Amino acid sequence: MAQPDIIDESGDKYKYGFITDIEADTAPAGLNADIIRLISQKKEEPEWLLEWRLKAFEFWQTMSEPHWAKLAYDKIDYQALHYYSAPKQKVAPKSLQEVDKSLLETYDKLGIPLKEQEALAGVVAVDAVFDSVSVATTYRAKLAEKGIIFCSISEAIKNHPDLVKKYLGSVVPYTDNFFACLNSAVFTDGSFVYIPKGVKSPMELSTYFRINAKNTGQFERTLIVAEDDSYVSYLEGCTAPQRDENQLHAAIVEIVVMNNAEVKYSTVQNWYPGDKDGKGGVYNFVTKRAACRGANSKISWTQVETGSAVTWKYPSCVLQGDNSVGEFYSVAITNNRQQADTGTKMIHIGKNTTSKIISKGISAGFSNQTYRGLVKVTPQADNARNYSQCDSLLIGANCGSHTVPYVENRNRNAVLEHEATTSKISDEQLFYCKQRGISEEEAVSLIVNGFCKDVMQHLPMEFAIEAAKLINISLEGSVG
Amino acid sequence: MTNLVPNIAYDYAELAKVSGIELPTPKTEAWKYTRLRDLLDCPYTLCTPSSATGPELPLKADVIHISNGRLVSALPQVAGAEITVIDHVEEKTHHPFAQMNALYLTQGLQITIRRKLSRPLVLNYHMSPNGENGFYHWRNIINCEKDSSAAIIEQFTYEGEVKSCYLANLVNDINIQAGASLQHYKYQNEAFKANHVALHEITIAADGKYESFCLQKGANIARNETEISLNGEGAEAVVNAAYMMNGWATLDTTTNVYHYQPHTKSSQLVKGVVGGTAKGVFQGRIHIAPNAVCTSGTQLHKAMVLSDDAEIDVKPELEIFADDVKCSHGAASGEIDKEQLFYMRSRGIGEEEAKTLLIDAYVTDVINHITDSSVREWFKSLI
Repeated sequence: MAQPDIIDESGDKYKYGFITDIEADTAPAGLNADIIRLISQKKEEPEWLLEWRLKAFEFWQTMSEPHWAKLAYDKIDYQALHYYSAPKQKVAPKSLQEVDKSLLETYDKLGIPLKEQEALAGVVAVDAVFDSVSVATTYRAKLAEKGIIFCSISEAIKNHPDLVKKYLGSVVPYTDNFFACLNSAVFTDGSFVYIPKGVKSPMELSTYFRINAKNTGQFERTLIVAEDDSYVSYLEGCTAPQRDENQLHAAIVEIVVMNNAEVKYSTVQNWYPGDKDGKGGVYNFVTKRAACRGANSKISWTQVETGSAVTWKYPSCVLQGDNSVGEFYSVAITNNRQQADTGTKMIHIGKNTTSKIISKGISAGFSNQTYRGLVKVTPQADNARNYSQCDSLLIGANCGSHTVPYVENRNRNAVLEHEATTSKISDEQLFYCKQRGISEEEAVSLIVNGFCKDVMQHLPMEFAIEAAKLINISLEGSVG
Repeated sequence: MTNLVPNIAYDYAELAKVSGIELPTPKTEAWKYTRLRDLLDCPYTLCTPSSATGPELPLKADVIHISNGRLVSALPQVAGAEITVIDHVEEKTHHPFAQMNALYLTQGLQITIRRKLSRPLVLNYHMSPNGENGFYHWRNIINCEKDSSAAIIEQFTYEGEVKSCYLANLVNDINIQAGASLQHYKYQNEAFKANHVALHEITIAADGKYESFCLQKGANIARNETEISLNGEGAEAVVNAAYMMNGWATLDTTTNVYHYQPHTKSSQLVKGVVGGTAKGVFQGRIHIAPNAVCTSGTQLHKAMVLSDDAEIDVKPELEIFADDVKCSHGAASGEIDKEQLFYMRSRGIGEEEAKTLLIDAYVTDVINHITDSSVREWFKSLI
């Protein structure tokens, strides 16, 4: 059978590529202690946080950008970026009606109309982040009844400083890595979730991130704390407008899970991947980490990565509590000139801890993708158990797919398994579908969706539908 | 070769530094699991010559005895092969230990295989007691000519104090021409404080075949690194290994297999058993170049951990730039299977004996892949 041609125009078709014209309040380009003071001042932050930011900045200056990942991108000029940008609005909106109309239209185009959200979804509370300031938070009252705090991190700093002070940086310290350190110094907003003891969140919490103002690095910071016996499912989804300059995004997600608590964190990442020649697109350098501090705690990461020109992302689980469970389900799709270096870290510290990694990577066009993961079992982690499976699918002869798993076992009772395969869509499967009247493109999408099924079934309903569509859009034009 | 003064203790790291060679540090990705500090800690003098020879192999073979890094006796006449002594080489790679090896070469052999050899060629390396705190650099340049076939066995043994400390730095440059095949077996049983760094650089032309098996049982730090370039269509490589260690050693098996051409094939099977405070390391990489379609590469590492302080570090890597390939890798580690143990004990086999049997079977599984039956039996007798 002839090799399918790799001609792709998906970059030009990017569905969510548009720029909202709102007057933005932007800080001058560049990064120095004064800019950090300005951010802190704009956000009316307490003194301790400013000091923490400045300490992070000082440390960041001693660090150098990591280059161990299989990624090639233009050098980032950190002094050319704007580190603060907020839509100009004098008074904070009290209801959706007060929100800037063009902002709401942006969300309409994105397919998450906030106004309809209440009636339509009914169960999903959305904390929409537009550039750096949260503009609307819904369902807060309903959540407040249960004692759940779900707000932007700036609000949390104002209203719940003790909680933020206790947990901020406790999972990802500012010394952790270059991008996390940068984020710690300049983060502008993000979400904060606190689930009190014994509370199961009555709905799925969701945040839509969106990069907007030109040349603005986005430095989101999310902190989720689940107290004893609590449960929450959190959704994060992203789209970004189309533009030529590369945009830097260095986010941090920190999750703390206490005794018997469970947190499910799902992401659909669909930022602008650049056009078919690799021009533009988002640079996505994310540090995500969950600490299972309590016994019997559980964290589950599910991600569908289809966007961004460059992805550098390793959602990790630190399994400290006895019997704690860490899970990582990932589908990553790269097309055109996209590059993704993604995976997970499972650190087994507590006894009887288990972890599971299911990673599905699909490369098409001229893209390159790497799974990079670490499974580490410390000497005290008796009876630790890990199962890892990393499958890669190659579509076309010009893409690359790489697997770099690290397994470090220092406990004899640990049972660790790792499996990985790389192959292309088999001609037989394609032939079978085509023979039954299914077009080649449809057949590929069918096979790819089947390939990803193990991961997709862990996504919440809302995301599962969107994600399946995304997979098809992402692979458009990669065959035939 | 650059001359080294006998009887002078050289700090190996320092020697590398003044020679403009950068030895790996714990931060060097390819060496992060190998405790190099232990290797570089003690100063070494150039090995003094010795005439002692290592134990004979229970095989009909042509034997070359090498003691303390030097030839002991005259070279045997091998029909179909040409063997000469070399005392200087040039290193083309950037491998730091191979560069050191070339720069300060003690001695080496140029082996040309012209046709099918009737029996295996054994390189019997031996360390005598007067090699204590010494180092030697040995290199073989092996050229397997078109359609030739040979089996080469390397054995590393020592004599005297089990704790003697020395450094053996070995390089094999192997070139397998079209249609030729080479079976390469290695048994490493150095002293428990010895350090052993070996690099095998192999290029294989169209329809060439390379089959290797390495059993590591000794040394303090041992690294057996294999780098294979499959340069012609139909080239095939089998890289199997096993390691068993109960002491404090670090046994490192590193492989890099590069598939440069279509229709090439490689497979790796490595099994390890570690007890005491030993550390087993496996780093394997399969690289498939953009045009190398219809290739297959497999890799499997399995380790058994027998004690609380033992450690296993694994990094099986796939680097694939072509779509029509079949590649897989797997890694597993765990303790001895309790159910199997129970099954045997319930049949009246003592715990120790049952364990021995299970470990034996575990490692024999790899040995069974050796095509030469007499070599297979020999390896079985070693575990």
